[in-house]
Amino acid sequence: MNRNLRIMVIDDENIVGKRLKPALEKDGDIVEAFTDARKALERFSEQQFDIVVSDIRMDDIDGLEVLEQVLARSEKTKVIIITGYATVEVAQEALVKGAFDFIAKPFKPNDLRSIIDKAAKELDK
Amino acid sequence: MNMTVQDNPMPPGSPNTPSRELGKEYLEDIALKSRPVISIRFRLFLAFLVIFAFSMIVALWSIYALSGIQAKILFLEAAGDYLAEIQQARRFEKNFLLYGTNLEDSMQHLQTAEEILQKNKNTIEKILGRNSIRGMSLQLSNYHKVLEKVGEAGDTDERNRYEPELREYGGQLVSDATNFVEKEREAVEGALSLSRRVPFYFLGILMVLIIVITSFLVKNILSTLNRFLEYTNRIGEGDFSPILPKRKYRDEFSQLGLAFNHMIRELDKRHKILIESHKLRAVGTLVAGVAHELNNPLNNTMLTAGLLEEDFGRLPDEEKLDLVRDIIKETDRSKVIVRHLLDFARASEYKIVAMDLEKLLEGSIRLVHNRVKLAKIDLQIKLTPDLPPVHGDEQALQQVFINLILNAVDALPPKGKIAITDSKSSQGGFIEIKITDNGAGIPEHILPRIFDPFFTTKVKEKGTGLGLSVSQGIVRRLGGNITVESRVGMGTTFTVLLPTTEVPSSVSAAADS
Repeated sequence: MNRNLRIMVIDDENIVGKRLKPALEKDGDIVEAFTDARKALERFSEQQFDIVVSDIRMDDIDGLEVLEQVLARSEKTKVIIITGYATVEVAQEALVKGAFDFIAKPFKPNDLRSIIDKAAKELDK
Repeated sequence: MNMTVQDNPMPPGSPNTPSRELGKEYLEDIALKSRPVISIRFRLFLAFLVIFAFSMIVALWSIYALSGIQAKILFLEAAGDYLAEIQQARRFEKNFLLYGTNLEDSMQHLQTAEEILQKNKNTIEKILGRNSIRGMSLQLSNYHKVLEKVGEAGDTDERNRYEPELREYGGQLVSDATNFVEKEREAVEGALSLSRRVPFYFLGILMVLIIVITSFLVKNILSTLNRFLEYTNRIGEGDFSPILPKRKYRDEFSQLGLAFNHMIRELDKRHKILIESHKLRAVGTLVAGVAHELNNPLNNTMLTAGLLEEDFGRLPDEEKLDLVRDIIKETDRSKVIVRHLLDFARASEYKIVAMDLEKLLEGSIRLVHNRVKLAKIDLQIKLTPDLPPVHGDEQALQQVFINLILNAVDALPPKGKIAITDSKSSQGGFIEIKITDNGAGIPEHILPRIFDPFFTTKVKEKGTGLGLSVSQGIVRRLGGNITVESRVGMGTTFTVLLPTTEVPSSVSAAADS
């Protein structure tokens, strides 16, 4: 499989990016991981990404803000929100604001992969 | 139709029925209700009754005095008549002696005088005494006898012989009568002048009476009003202890007291509900915090383990080891969170002993010495010598002070200052330890939340947000409290209020009852 999707992973937990990057790159995608949402958004200005996976609860800029800013810059980018705890309210808010889907912690690499696959299909349309 | 609200009680159970339950007696109200009733209305009535009674006495006295004066005036007239009769009798006596006129006229007047005397015998006796009236009537009869003898005498010589006797008795009679009239006139004048003065005395006494009664009533009512003023202040400050009777009777203020007690109960109930909802919010924060805090290391573990599972055959041993180490590290992180959580909800027994505060604080500072030094913080401790011992669990209290000092360290830039001082609490039996930093301060909007569990302003992995809530829990369990004052840009002061031990003995008490 060689999709060559550009995927951005934002989570202030260092390990998330560290582990997701090799896991997702196995599918042939190009993955960049950030622990600082501000830096991630700066990078997004330089480089378009197909998929953004962002944690919702971060200190400086939270996931919902990342979602808004990403969609403002690139409408077709699919944003997947990682929630610390799956509350209906937060998930709904994310979906209303245009998130593609959300995934609750803790999850396995495969759980995220299946959502990314769905997003890839959407992107192909 | 003219119906007042009271005439039309609401049906029981309707939404507007006051929450006070009929027939339910509250303990604190029984004492208030059992006092004998002396209402303000009754006291006012009594005060006016006293004034009225006094006025009535004076009025009755005036009537009595006036009727006395009237009687005296009438009697004075009689006395005047008596004097006139005597004088008349003497004039006829002289005429008889000088010109030999009729003596019968003199006798006639004497007779009338005697009648007047007899008629007013009782009154005269009262005024002049029994002896005087006897003397008067004796003189009258003596004079009468001499006069009769003179009348019977045949010649001038014989008459002349009686003349000195006659003159003596007659003169005595006239002077007595004059004296009597004079005395009576004086008495009348005395009574009149007394009744002229009495209204002024009355007004004076009435004035004094009104002042005394009014000041008594006002003092009585004002002191109670002031007491209620104190109650409102006390209640405003959150002291919800009921009002107990301070007087031996009850009145309208007691009703107010009952209403106050009702209000206090309602306030207390609402206050408790508020605390409960606050607790619930704290639990909510706690649960959300636990979920989030635990989810992060759990997620890291799961991702790492998931990757290990996927690539188990392909990965070199070195990388596998790295993954396993990450898993252990993240599991360890979870363990710390769980331990803090247990600290927070710790229900174990405290060993409560009397402790030297200075030693306790120095011990705590020794434990954080390195951190303070690394952060280049100037930590100063200034304690009053001979502080009273406090009671508490040494480890727990050390944990509290370490928490507070480290919080300050984390909030401070290099070269920041922390001062630890003590002050006597306004509450007796307590001592205050203040930990003051000159850091950025805590914004007002988050100040009320800093004691909530899992509330933190620190970056990830630096704090769990449990430190302050655990510390507060420890100190509260010992009967103390932690309060915070902060001004943005000026710094923050945490005050730990601790109960002191008067008798330095070891007290073993089960905490968290």
